[in-house]
Amino acid sequence: MLSNVTKYHIPGSLGEALSLHNRESRSYFLAGGTGLALSDSNRPVELIDLDDLELDELEVDREAGRLLIGATRKIQQVVGCPDLEGFADGYLQDGLEKVGSYPIRNAGTLGGSIVRPFPWSDVIPILLALDATILYFDRSHEKRELSRLYDDDFRPTLRNAIVTGIEVSLPDEGVTRGSFQKFSRSEFDVASLNVGCTITERDGEIVKARMAVGARPSFATRLTEVEESLKGRSLNEDLIYETAELASQTAAVSSDRKMSKEYRVAQVRKMAEDALRDITSEFN
Amino acid sequence: MNITIEINDEDKEFQVKPGEILLDLLRREGYTSVKEGCKAGDCGACMVLVNGRAMTSCTLYAAQVDGKRITTLEGLNDELADSLRQEFLDVGAIQCGFCIPGVLISSYSLLTHNPNPTEGEIKAALDGNLCRCTGYIKQIEAIKNVARDLEGGNNERRREKI
Ligand SMILES: Cc1cc2nc3c(=O)[nH]c(=O)nc-3n(C[C@H](O)[C@H](O)[C@H](O)COP(=O)(O)OP(=O)(O)OC[C@H]3O[C@@H](n4cnc5c(N)ncnc54)[C@H](O)[C@@H]3O)c2cc1C
Repeated sequence: MLSNVTKYHIPGSLGEALSLHNRESRSYFLAGGTGLALSDSNRPVELIDLDDLELDELEVDREAGRLLIGATRKIQQVVGCPDLEGFADGYLQDGLEKVGSYPIRNAGTLGGSIVRPFPWSDVIPILLALDATILYFDRSHEKRELSRLYDDDFRPTLRNAIVTGIEVSLPDEGVTRGSFQKFSRSEFDVASLNVGCTITERDGEIVKARMAVGARPSFATRLTEVEESLKGRSLNEDLIYETAELASQTAAVSSDRKMSKEYRVAQVRKMAEDALRDITSEFN
Repeated sequence: MNITIEINDEDKEFQVKPGEILLDLLRREGYTSVKEGCKAGDCGACMVLVNGRAMTSCTLYAAQVDGKRITTLEGLNDELADSLRQEFLDVGAIQCGFCIPGVLISSYSLLTHNPNPTEGEIKAALDGNLCRCTGYIKQIEAIKNVARDLEGGNNERRREKI
């Protein structure tokens, strides 16, 4: 219960929602509520429900490899969407199915999952490995790469913007496949470590690779050195070992209550290897 | 603020605080099948159907369900719900019983959307429900039995036993 909340707004347009937010510095946008409702903070005094803004569209062009998902689309509505089957060989849907539990995915939205960089988020590394672009409204409609969303200089902008959607464009040529690996203490627990990886191959050669590691224990980042080292090569056992080793050396991991730094290093190696092996088996 | 909810097939108006959680409203209004467990979205004891979809009522504000349809276990009175209740009793899928309203909501939601689930799909549907007594085995068995009976049109037997 947010005991200091005195007003609940249901704006009918993005402009109205943003004005309400700008008028009261202690107002919060509300999407699914699965993050906010658990807070017992004294700070929020107004809630701005985004439900009426019709930001839950899903447009997919499988042939062109393009996808637009509205920010208030529920995670389970993406997981269970028949139009999305086979997009990036099922990587997005399979990955998102590992987020929380069925009732949480039924309520939680994609937008609500990326605005705050929760360290253990699965959604962030899954989308980072798809090179997702975030659409937001900040008096005008703007875009920004997800990998740059949490840059220090952008945080004040993000704090006062409404995320409206997520765009994914797969490379024009080649076939993209991916694998998301999650390591948690139990089915119920959030990730202690997670790895998202996509590979685009053309004629047996890797034309694009993306790998992101999350719950390090800080929020997910891409392993650009690994991505570069994969370009122009062919997936085989030697490359899988070499890449997994490089991932474990370059992922910036540290210790927390769940895992020591050493354990995380070893796990990154194992999970990168599993992800690449998973992708290789799909290509073969 | 005032909200209107169609709850268990009845339109009701409630006065709520803007920051009030749905679970607290439901219990205050006497829907005691909705249990307060972890209050953190983890245990599933407070599960309800919102427009037919299973959600934890502790992670929703009451104001969010204004104009929506809520079903608690008290409102599940059709053949499928009766079959599930009876089968849970028959196979011994209930021990202390605290988690059962939530588990039944999940099971009902599963069989409504997918009448013939695999064991994996049953486990996935129950992954938001914590049960510290049964170890889930009997619950999974009960759901499988109901699905099998539904498929075979054998629901007469269940209704008679209730
Ligand atoms: C029990 C439990 C288990 C979970 N397990 C996992 C897990 O395994 N993996 C995982 O990745 N996540 C997990 N989550 C997190 C869950 O996915 C997030 O809570 C959820 O996605 C947040 O989305 P929401 O729509 O409910 O956001 P809300 O709670 O509505 O909002 C969250 C924050 O984002 C802001 N916000 C929301 N939407 C917008 C928008 N469009 N524009 C601007 N600001 C916005 C809000 O102001 C708020 O600060 C879990 C959560 C719970 C409760």
